[in-house]
Amino acid sequence: MQAVEIKNLSFVYSKGTPNEKLALDNINLSIEEGSFVALIGATGSGKSTLIQHLNGLIKPQDKKQSSVIVGGKNAADKKTLKTLRFEVGMVFQYPEYQLFADTVEKDVAFGPKNMKLPADEVSRRVKRALETVGLDYNEFAERSPFDLSGGEKRRVAIAGVIAMEPKILVLDEPVAGLDPAGRAELLALIKTLQKEVSPTVILVSHNMDDVAALADRVVALKDGRIVADGAPRDVFSHRGLIMDIGLDLPTAARIVDKLEKKGITLSKRIITMAELKDALLSIFKKRAKKRGNNMGYAQINAVTDGDKNADKNVEERDEASLVDEKAKGDESSPVSDEKAEGDGAKDENDSGSAGGGEDV
Amino acid sequence: MFKDVAFGQYYPANSAVHKLDSRIKLILTLVYIIGIFFVKSYFGFMLTAALLIIIIIAAKLPMASVLRSVRGILLLVVLTSIINLFMIKDGDVLVQWKIFVITKNGVHTTIKMVLRLVLLISGASLLALTTTPVELADGLESLMRPLSLIKVPVRDIAMIMSIALRFIPTLFDETNKIVSAQKARGASLDTGNIFARIKALIPVLIPLFVSSFRRADELAFAMDARCYNATDKRTKMKKPKIKFSDVLAAFVVLSFFTVILLERYYFPSVGINIDAMIFGGLL
Amino acid sequence: MPFIEIKGVSYVYPLREGVSLKAVKNLSLSIEAGEFVALTGMNGSGKSTLAKLLNGLFKPTEGEILIDGVSTANEERIFDIRRRVGMVFQNPDNQTVATLIEDDVAFGPENLGLPRDEIIKRVNFALQAVGMSEYRKRDAAKLSGGQKQRVAIAGVLAMRPDVLILDEATSMLDPAGREEVMGVVRKLVEQGITVINITHNMEEAALAKRVVVLRKGRLAIDGTPSQVFSSSLFESCGLTLPPAAALAKELKDSGIDVGTVTTEESFAEGICKLLR
Repeated sequence: MQAVEIKNLSFVYSKGTPNEKLALDNINLSIEEGSFVALIGATGSGKSTLIQHLNGLIKPQDKKQSSVIVGGKNAADKKTLKTLRFEVGMVFQYPEYQLFADTVEKDVAFGPKNMKLPADEVSRRVKRALETVGLDYNEFAERSPFDLSGGEKRRVAIAGVIAMEPKILVLDEPVAGLDPAGRAELLALIKTLQKEVSPTVILVSHNMDDVAALADRVVALKDGRIVADGAPRDVFSHRGLIMDIGLDLPTAARIVDKLEKKGITLSKRIITMAELKDALLSIFKKRAKKRGNNMGYAQINAVTDGDKNADKNVEERDEASLVDEKAKGDESSPVSDEKAEGDGAKDENDSGSAGGGEDV
Repeated sequence: MFKDVAFGQYYPANSAVHKLDSRIKLILTLVYIIGIFFVKSYFGFMLTAALLIIIIIAAKLPMASVLRSVRGILLLVVLTSIINLFMIKDGDVLVQWKIFVITKNGVHTTIKMVLRLVLLISGASLLALTTTPVELADGLESLMRPLSLIKVPVRDIAMIMSIALRFIPTLFDETNKIVSAQKARGASLDTGNIFARIKALIPVLIPLFVSSFRRADELAFAMDARCYNATDKRTKMKKPKIKFSDVLAAFVVLSFFTVILLERYYFPSVGINIDAMIFGGLL
Repeated sequence: MPFIEIKGVSYVYPLREGVSLKAVKNLSLSIEAGEFVALTGMNGSGKSTLAKLLNGLFKPTEGEILIDGVSTANEERIFDIRRRVGMVFQNPDNQTVATLIEDDVAFGPENLGLPRDEIIKRVNFALQAVGMSEYRKRDAAKLSGGQKQRVAIAGVLAMRPDVLILDEATSMLDPAGREEVMGVVRKLVEQGITVINITHNMEEAALAKRVVVLRKGRLAIDGTPSQVFSSSLFESCGLTLPPAAALAKELKDSGIDVGTVTTEESFAEGICKLLR
């Protein structure tokens, strides 16, 4: 089942003025229910315009040519617009700036109340939403959202969205401006949200490490067009394309490239630090085996240089040398290259455009 | 619901009108507005419209940008015309139905009033479209300078004005963002009766106030950090100079004003005759 | 004598009646002219408060701060201190005063009461320094975040400061904007301006020569990036290592010592040395 079906969607801002700008250029995109899609692209590439089409905040300009079907509902249909808004939870950038009520409870209840749910259901959802984002109901419900810390405010704002229990959750730069601890907590929370509340997640992010860690599909926009669509590993392995879009690579991939320049070749399909670690470890094991232990000792001693851990290193090195010698060169990547599916980075989404005609 | 609000914002273009001294523009706009109230005949209105069109062309503005500002007062125009149309009871009766009477005089007065309003707003919007907020504030400050003799804090007022103008687009964007966010949570901002609508605005207005205060706070720090002071110690980078084009513009607008005055007080027959020539029996 | 001397400074925020918050506690620190310092710590560690103390936006509740020997509490010299210690703030939209870029850059020099020719010279110089000269007649609201922050830096540079404080100036920017701003900062450091970059982005902190970490208003760690990243106190400050340094640490635990790693480049070099 497709959660989102977008066909031939274009959008022009400030039509007919000198500031006219083509924000979306014939977008075709379908998103499978239960997937975690990262939407990437430089600022101004059309990401925000695209996501605002998903819950009808922006209506398709050309209603004949284009259609946006979300959860089987046409986003241009006024009758189902309200229901659609409750099915697509939208967490905008810096969502804490939208808090308004005098208590956390009332703010989180805003969405469920707009859904006209019975009072006991509203309060059940508020409780659940607060607990899900990691805020104790009894401690926070009666507090003013304006007295909370930045991280807490953001959690309250997110709770306000997930209290509607949307099927699709859209997050626009959810960790922007948070300190490292806040970031880590919130990123972990997003995974939980997908498991417990919204099976389909669309994440807009500039942080490619977050994208690599969380998403199972990456859709890249440039000047309002989809220029890459596929598994993060596939998309990020097209280095030229990523450069061309004006984006970063995940740290792990950047390090792979730096190593390559220095003559050490690892797989271009490494995207997380854990994979990089495995790849490096297996190279070291292989080296230790190939060069024989003497060389290995010399290397390690040279680098650790009086470090009291040197002995420990040498011991582990011995173990490492026992590992099978088959692992070689860039095959040491944790990911087999055979998994690369053709040209993973070109408008794959076209194939999904056949079954979107569920009318409302 | 906030999307259609037009603030008559600055329209960037490289034109002679844009480059005019803002003080001259302010004064000439005022002269033009006063002039409109002296216009009596259709001939006078045509002169005014001609002047306006010349300025629009010289300013390289698209007609639509000027008309957009007129759209903002459309409701006002319609309401006042209806009132005018039925309130004026002297002159030849054209239509009569129960207590409602429409007279020839009423029709003319109404048309002229509409013309007056439209020309007035268009003229004023030309100022806003061709002058940046900072230039406007600087111009006002410079014109109000004499007031500082009677202890009016002219510099502070000018700074407040220019900052207010500078933040209009920012707050406008902010409002749109908040509206989107609350709509995404199912808020209905444009349905229900007036009370429901006012109540529905709370989730928009409160965050807007909160953020405006935050912005004001941060801006105050940023200004202090850059040594802001409203004393005479302050200097200006831009020193307005009266150019030939300013003199020319003043000449054009003042000629217009003179013609309007002459036509009204000394040669009223000119306007009447020309009106008759063009519209004939319609009058 | 160090250019900036912070001597036993505390700062108390009055919150409401009877409630106050001690944001900075008995802090002593000195910074030499020409240093490039990253000031970091988790939210609420007092780093932004410290920034505002440095140019006299806040006055110490206890202790004193000397800028080139002049106390920030000295009201007669306050404009001089603010001119010498320029500050760029977090939100690009809340620090532009004027609509037109050149007008905004001129704001500082105008406040200093400089003659017209000098203002124009300085605006030209400052816009040039941040690479925004061609935008001078543009509307500030229409720039990208990175461009707005470069204009904000130009606004400070036009006052010819000795110190540039960036108060989380890149935290609202996308990676491209961050890169733009840090590029300008690097150039200024080379030209000898003292830069204090307040950030909780550790990759950015690693670019500085010295990292100062605050925890709950107190000085927790002070040293080179590598010293700070390897400090046992580091994690208790609520900070996380930049990914490359974190991986180096993990590898070390597996018996592979990559050496001192603060940046991706130094990580790659370390690996290279091991494998060559």
